[in-house]
Order: sequence, then C-alpha cells, then structure tokens
Amino acid sequence: MEYILKNGIVYDPTHNVTGDRKDVMIKDGKIVDNVSSDAKVLDVTDKLVMAAGVDVHAHIAGPKLCVGRLYRPEDSRAGVVPKTDITRAETGFSIPSCSATGYRYSRMGYGTVTEAAVPPLEAKHTHEEIMAIPNIDVSPLALFGNNWFVLQFVKKNDLEGLAAFVSAWLKLSKCYGMKVVNPCGSEAWGWGMNVHGIDDPAPHWDVTGGEVVRALTQVNEMLGLPHSMHVHPNDLGHPGNYPTTIGTLDAVKDVKKNPNVIRDQTIHCTHLQFHCYGGTSWRDAKSGAAPVADYINKNKHVTCDVGQVTFDETTTMTADAPMEYDLYKLSGLKWANKDIELETASGLIPIIYSPKAPVNALQWAIGLELFLLINDPWQVVLTTDSPNAGPFIRYPRIMSWLMSSDRRTEMLENEVHKWATKRTDLASLDRVYDWSDIATVTRSAPAKILGLEQRGHLGVGANADVAVYDIEPENFDATKASNASVIEDVMGRAAYTIKDGEIVVKDGKIVKVVPSRHMWTNVTGFEEQEKKVLEDIMPMFNRYYTVKFENYKVFDHYIDPAIEFKIDAGK
Amino acid sequence: MKTITLTLKKFSSIALEFEELIPDTVYNWSKEDFENYQVPIGNTRFPLTNYFDIEVEGDAEGPEDVKMILDGDMSRVKYIGYRMTAGEIIVNGDADLQAGAEMIGGSLKINGNAESYVGREMRGGSIEVMGNVREYCGTSYIGEWRGMSGGVIKVHGNAGKQLADCMSGGEIYIGGSCDILAGIHMTKGYIEIGGDVTRWPGGQMKNGTIVIKGKLSSLLEGFENEGIFVDPDIEGKQLTGKYIKYKGDIGVNGKGSLWLNAEKNRNLL
Ligand SMILES: [Zn+2]
Repeated sequence: MEYILKNGIVYDPTHNVTGDRKDVMIKDGKIVDNVSSDAKVLDVTDKLVMAAGVDVHAHIAGPKLCVGRLYRPEDSRAGVVPKTDITRAETGFSIPSCSATGYRYSRMGYGTVTEAAVPPLEAKHTHEEIMAIPNIDVSPLALFGNNWFVLQFVKKNDLEGLAAFVSAWLKLSKCYGMKVVNPCGSEAWGWGMNVHGIDDPAPHWDVTGGEVVRALTQVNEMLGLPHSMHVHPNDLGHPGNYPTTIGTLDAVKDVKKNPNVIRDQTIHCTHLQFHCYGGTSWRDAKSGAAPVADYINKNKHVTCDVGQVTFDETTTMTADAPMEYDLYKLSGLKWANKDIELETASGLIPIIYSPKAPVNALQWAIGLELFLLINDPWQVVLTTDSPNAGPFIRYPRIMSWLMSSDRRTEMLENEVHKWATKRTDLASLDRVYDWSDIATVTRSAPAKILGLEQRGHLGVGANADVAVYDIEPENFDATKASNASVIEDVMGRAAYTIKDGEIVVKDGKIVKVVPSRHMWTNVTGFEEQEKKVLEDIMPMFNRYYTVKFENYKVFDHYIDPAIEFKIDAGK
Repeated sequence: MKTITLTLKKFSSIALEFEELIPDTVYNWSKEDFENYQVPIGNTRFPLTNYFDIEVEGDAEGPEDVKMILDGDMSRVKYIGYRMTAGEIIVNGDADLQAGAEMIGGSLKINGNAESYVGREMRGGSIEVMGNVREYCGTSYIGEWRGMSGGVIKVHGNAGKQLADCMSGGEIYIGGSCDILAGIHMTKGYIEIGGDVTRWPGGQMKNGTIVIKGKLSSLLEGFENEGIFVDPDIEGKQLTGKYIKYKGDIGVNGKGSLWLNAEKNRNLL
C-alpha cells in the first residue's frame, strides 16, 4: 500500500524540518521519497504532521500492572468504554486494560512505548501483556540493579562476567535494554531497609548503588546496546535528594560511549522530577531542579525524562519497594508489596495528586522547571512515568503547559498551592515550547535516546509511523492560555495515526488493530563467556530460585511478532 | 405527578438491568417510549414489553414528580434506583443486586428482600427495605476506600456481612440482626442495629458511631471500654436503657464509638 500525505505542515527535528509545507510519502511500511500514481492521497492540508510518538518510559505491561488491576478494581471502573466492531471494551484510568493501553497511545499518535521495568523472572507475563496490547511496538527494559548475580559480579569487579551475564539475560528475558531501580535499595528492602545515597552498601553485600550503576554502564557500552543505561537513582522522592542524582550521573561521566551507537548519552535518568528535591524534610522541601538542570546543560553524556505530575488520582508502581512503603505510610491508603526473589522487589499504592496539596504543587512545578531549565530539548523527554506521576493520556495536557507560560501563570495564580511559586523558580520562567520542541521531546529525542534509528523521524527509510493532528500550526497561537484546552483536545485524538504504513486511527477513532511487536536485543560475540557464566551461576540459581532454569526463559512464542536488534559486541 | 407502573409478566432468570429506568431519565417518557425501550440483559437488550405490562398516568415536570411502582418479583432486576437524584420508586416484591447504589436523592422502598450492595456509595436520599438485605449494604465499591457518604438506609429485617464498609456519612438502621464486620473501615456516620450481631463490628474504624441494641457475640480486641451510660444521647439520638461505650479501633488509632446494650451483653460488664 502506498500513501501520500499531502500539504501538511511537517515538524521533523531530526532533519531540521520546522513547519515546512511538505508531502510525506509511504510505501511498504516505510517513508520513501517517491510513490507511484497508485498512491492513495490523504489530504492533510495545513495540518500538523509529525513522526509517531515514542515513549521512553512508562509502565504498561507485566506483573505490576496485573497486581494494580487486581488491587484497584475501583480504578478499572473509571474509563469504561464499550466495545465497537473494531475495538474491545476498555476499562481503567491509571491502570487501563491491555487493549485500552494500545488504543489510547494510538489515539494520541504514539507508535512506540518503552515498558520500563521488567523483572526477568516475570518477563513471560510482561510479554503476555504486550501480546494483548495492540498498535504500539514495545521495548521492554529488564531490571538489573538489585539482581544477586549482578551484585556478585560487581563485588568481584568482574566486568567481563557481568557483560556476559547481561547479554545472556537479555536473551532469556527477551528485553531491549537495561534498567536500574534504586540500586541496592530494593535488595536492602528484603531486610526491611533502604539505602541512602550512592555510597551506602546493600546489607550483606558490601556493594553500593554507585558501584552498580557504574559497572552496568560500563557493560552497556562494552556490549554497545542500542539504549544506554536507564537509571532510577537512589533516594527517589526524598527531600534533599538532588545531590544523589547528580552524584549518580557524575559516577559514569568518564565511561566511554561505544562508537557504534546512534545515541549521544551514556546514562538516561528517568522521572527526574522525583529526584530533584532540595531541603531536608517535607517541612522545608524546595526545588533542586536548577542545579540538576545546570549539570545536564553542561554534560552531554546525560539525558532524562521528566515524570511530570499531572494532578490526578493515579497509581504508583515501582521496583523501588522501600519508597512505596514510605509513601504508604504518608498516605495511609492501601499498599501492595511484591518480592521478586533474586532480582528485585516492588510496591504499589493509589495516590491522589492535588493542586491544593503543597507537596504535589511543588512536584508539579519542579517537573515543569526541568522542561524549561534544560536548554537542549534533545536531552529531555516528556513522560509522566505513567502511571506514577499521572496516566500517559495526560501527555497532551503537559504539552499545553509547555507551550504557554500564560497558562502556567494562570495556574500558579489561581489553581495551584503557593509552594509552586514560593519554593521553585517556575513563575520566573517564561520560556515556551514551539511545535518543533514538542516534536523533539515526544518523538525525535526519545527515539534517538533509545537508539531507534528508524523511529521518531520522517526521513527516507524510517518506519512509516506518522501522526497527523487536526490543528493548523500556522493559524494557531499556542501561547494563549485559553488555547491550552484546544491543544489538549487535539493532541489527544490524532486525525491520523499511521503505524508501519497502515492507518490505525482516523479522526481520533481506532479504525484498525494491529499486533504490537516485541523489541529485543540479541548480543552476539559473547557466546563462550555466556556459557561459562551460566555454568558458574547455576548452583546459586538452582539453590535460590523457585523456578527451574528450563522454565525461566521467555520462549519464542511469547514474542510473536518480534523485532530483533542484533548487536555484534565483538565489533 | 406522574405514576409509572411496571407489572412483571415474564420472569427472566438472567438479570435485567434497570439503571436507565430512574425518574431522572423517564420523567418525560410516554407509554410509547417505554414500549420502544430495550432493557439491558446480560450482554444484549430486549424490549421491556417482553417482561412488563406498562402503565403511565399523569405528567411530570421533573424527576421529583415521578412515582415508579414495580409490581412483582424483581429478584432478577438489578440496579433499581441506581444514581437517582429525585422522585420515588416502590418495589412490591424482592429486588436484586445494587438497589439504590450511588443514589443521590429521592426515595426507594422495597416491600420485600433485597440482594447485596443496597445503597452502595449512596450520597443522599432514602432507602427503606421491609425485609432483609444481603452483604455489603451501604458499602463502598470493591477496592474503593470512599464509601457511603450521605442519606439514610432503613432495613426492617436482617443485614448480611460487611454492612457500611468505608462509610463516611449518612445513617443506617437495621431492625434485625447483622453479620460480621458491620462498620468496618468507617470514618463517619451512624449505624444502629436493633438485633444481635455475630462478630467484629467496627474493625479498623477511624471514627463514627455504631449502636448495637442486641447481643454481640464477639468484640474485637481494638476496642477500649469507656464506661456505662444510662439513656445516652448519641449524636442527637436519645437511646433508652444502659449502654456500654467502647472507643476504637485503637489498632488504627481510631476514635470511633461503639455502644452495646448492657442488659444484652452482661458478659462484657
Ligand atoms: Zn518508572
């Protein structure tokens, strides 16, 4: 099938296309520069055209979601949409059903989403849920930061062994890249404890979070994985945590980037908003966004996503189990906790972010400060750490806040607790994002950060993942506060979402359902070392896991259809 | 005033769902409108006329002018009075699940027994059940920690398990006996039980009032005796006789009060 999207206003930051009137041509699922006369013409005159969105960090599939749905039936009843001839029924607001997750991303014009935290032991279930999510390709990241074998390799300073282990475990879990969550902290949680800062060792291990992040980052570059180390640092959500954040980023500053990757960074810091708090307690808490943004402005080895608070009743779910317990103690609502054997732990609670609550207002303002203080939009990505700071369906609302300082002022003056004004610099920041910035932080930058060469842009050879929005950028003043609701509305229901050259959304409605592909990284060149490592760790595996190794791996039928990223680590 | 009478002529073993047939939606319906209406059953809809004879008399300006009479065995009719804000519904028979759930105003009277979830998350209005109710009367939705917040439920018969879970306002009167965990997680509101109670009223209650006029078989450990009171005045309600007052549930730092009839609970004196 061939298409030509005619006369749209195109934003493609990867190729410095900023609002040019251009045709976009599609053939056999790819962007091309020429189509035959048979090409179907889609008239998108004056409308906003971008590559489909790419999400660098969300929680959409796997055991945490499943526990969330079981534990929050009251969330499932929100967002109920009856089935149609094409779509299944939808349920849920912060933890939607699998099919609803796919439809909702697709309606926003997104085509690729990273599932940010897969415990390898539960990877099968993650892939099962990905199979049930339509219309978005998913790049799952496996958790390594509290894995006993990892801690062992780090303790012995055996990077070669660690590299072989990571390489083997990505194959076993069929994951795309590596994620670290509160390194050593979730292991400490097994003893009812946490770690504080990057130099505090996990009990009984004598290994610190800083050492784990550094070793895994070195291994990441040794192997040349497409995505960099993806870190949720220690001390999430604690007042005074920003030095820990900078310390984590600085611990890998001298790690040399693998020459074969397309990304610029060696470390991606996720939901940075939760890691930029000053002060010493919630009494005197204030923003720590400025020093962190300053560090990022000066250091190109770092990228981040924000984890913007959206003022919703949502669900927090993370492998940072000790933090979830702290949060539970603060909120007094309900709490679920999981132990993932040798790999990690996790926790889950409902949370209500209220604009009138001082702490929530502060969090909201810090997130926006990061967007506005980090100069290069290629270093910062729009996320809500969905559903932790808010559900992903709020991305269009965040866009409206970024595009209008008048809207932000209106909120600061009338809607949000004064901590947002008094304890952050947000009120003094009048920078606004233009459509090019929006395209950068929602598609081009996340694709590049993830190392996805064929996504996030509209160059020849790219996947034909395209979004068209029913707005005329040339005739629309996005800076006007009263237009914020228009942006939210329009960006929430794409005029077209095209996935691999097929129209899946038209006029905000799902018109076609296609299976999502499982993206995984297959490292070659480490076969001998992998064999040896597996032999070495097998006694410990057999002793402590409740499953047999034979049943541990994700079999191929769990990842159909898949996209395999073959990496030659010997290169 | 408009009187709408639906008389059951065919019983469906698969439940009919009546959430659309409340005064708020039907006040301006003619007989014809009812005859054209398809009622949800399972995963489909069938004509209401398959199951009911319909009579419509008089006119209504709004839901407050509507009286709906449901004659016959409604034990397979769910969601009667769901989210109604005004008007009156009378059921001359039993009612199925969720009668008066999420009710905001008006009145619902059931001249029979009702199934579980009567008055779930009720915010206002009144429900009267002449017979018994099953489990979760006046509770929250499953998983939800915000329960019934207003209105009055009066049950002349017995109530089942977990009456008023997470109640945060309103009043519930049970004439007969009550099963386990009445007023669990409650934070505010008033519950009065005329008969005996099996076990554990007020588990994890943070505040609010529970009065038990009959015998309680098993009291939770988290309740502290605060003495005996004669003819106590509890939130403006004058009780007669001797009552033992407890404070709890101290397991959650609760400041709720639980009043037990002293004569019926001599073992606790
Ligand atoms: Zn996350």
